[in-house]
Amino acid sequence: MSILKVKDLCASYSSSGPEILKGISFDVAENDFLAIIGPSGAGKSTLIRCINRLVEPTSGQIYFHGQDITKLSLRGLRNIRRGIGMIFQEFNLIDRMSVMDNLLSGRLGFTGNMRTLFKAFKRQDIDSALKLLERVGLSDQVDKRADELSGGQRQRVGIARALMQDPKLLLLDEPTSSLDPKISREIMNLVKEMAFELKVPCLCNIHDVQLAMDFCNKIIGIQEGTKMFEGTPESLNKEKLQEIYAMEVL
Amino acid sequence: MNFIKKTILNTDQTVLKAEDIIAYRSRKRGSRIFVYAFLSVIVLWSVKVTIIEDTDWERMGSIGKVISSAARFFGVDFNLFPDLLIPSLETLMISFLGTFLGVLICIPATWFGALNITPFKPITYPIGRLLMTLSRSIHEIVWALFFVSVFGLGALAGIFSIAVRSVGFIAKMSAEAIEDINPGPIEAIRSTGANGFQVLLFGIIPQVIPQVLSVIIFEWEINIRRSAILGLVGAGGLGLVFFRQMNTFNFHGVTAVILAILGIIIIGEFVSHYVRKKVT
Repeated sequence: MSILKVKDLCASYSSSGPEILKGISFDVAENDFLAIIGPSGAGKSTLIRCINRLVEPTSGQIYFHGQDITKLSLRGLRNIRRGIGMIFQEFNLIDRMSVMDNLLSGRLGFTGNMRTLFKAFKRQDIDSALKLLERVGLSDQVDKRADELSGGQRQRVGIARALMQDPKLLLLDEPTSSLDPKISREIMNLVKEMAFELKVPCLCNIHDVQLAMDFCNKIIGIQEGTKMFEGTPESLNKEKLQEIYAMEVL
Repeated sequence: MNFIKKTILNTDQTVLKAEDIIAYRSRKRGSRIFVYAFLSVIVLWSVKVTIIEDTDWERMGSIGKVISSAARFFGVDFNLFPDLLIPSLETLMISFLGTFLGVLICIPATWFGALNITPFKPITYPIGRLLMTLSRSIHEIVWALFFVSVFGLGALAGIFSIAVRSVGFIAKMSAEAIEDINPGPIEAIRSTGANGFQVLLFGIIPQVIPQVLSVIIFEWEINIRRSAILGLVGAGGLGLVFFRQMNTFNFHGVTAVILAILGIIIIGEFVSHYVRKKVT
């Protein structure tokens, strides 16, 4: 069954500016770990940001559990966003807050304004934060400030924050691009394991083709806002890659 | 060198000769002499009007008399110090409450005046910027005269003039800090389904709080100086005592007040330096 259905999605940053996405369609099914590959500037980040409308699409539909995200009001959009976790290239943690507060920020959509003001998060949120920190191996860093952690540790916090939302879909925007190759694999492994355990489908931007082939069950290749390829990692051969990247791939 | 070629000599030759450079400079010499002459005339004219004609030379008398006039201030009226304690505290309180009230007024001014969070750019952004400019372009003494005529004599007028005068600097620096924030964490917080208020609390404020606190404390330090003189126009504090000592020709008393002002300013500087180090 498809969780997310994207149809003819178009996007541009200004009404007169160039189209970044030119009618992209694809589906994400229940247990998918779908990778989006393509050269820099192809529109990968824009595509993923359209899903939770951090970028407003200009036309097309995005059905999430049957509901069209593009038609939602602000309040409806916030409700949908609560169920979609997002992990970023630059981690996007709140540097001056503790690891715990960063995790709890994943619960903001479920927390009232007064509780937010006094950081009075619910007991069960703190419990699940501690459990998640243990799972990602950061139990000893609970009280550290986020900017004291290393890159790999920060991305673990980023993953845990996204999972705090109890997401029904995970969006990953180049989650390993700020990390070294070894840590990148660890992070991808962790995401894959967690996604499998919690049965969350993932949609992942990634420019490292090898990582995409190793960790994902489906790959979409885009170039200049158009889908050039869709299929399993096995069916992605050298010719297809050359087409996506419009260059000689060694 | 391109400038010389294109605008003055109008040649296309790629290498300039010494003659070209000399020719260029001698052409420029005339206008340079004119600028110097013009500045000299302005200065001399100002001296004539404001110093030579405007000073009461008769009353000033000889150089000896000038020195003895100045010497009247040497010496401190120690008897005055007990009476300075309350006004000193009042001055500190005016600066403190004034800064606090100013920060409150800054909240809407900053919100409106920061390009990336202003609610409705074509209208609210100019309003925010106008508030900041208005606050800064009017001197605190003028604000104090205004508020004394509104609230009457006393510390309240001082507090309000300090508050209003502080808005310009604090709001401008805070708005600029907000304009410079990293948009990444904001995206992350928005993507969790947080509302605007929560984005402010978790995404924006943590990023700017050290800068904003530092600016507020710095402004408070300046406000101590300001509130020390506001009494001159009847807005309470040490300035009022200063004014009275001056009127009763108690020149040693004036010196005592100046020392008291110096004292609280030094205290303020110490506190400011220490706290600002802590927050950044």
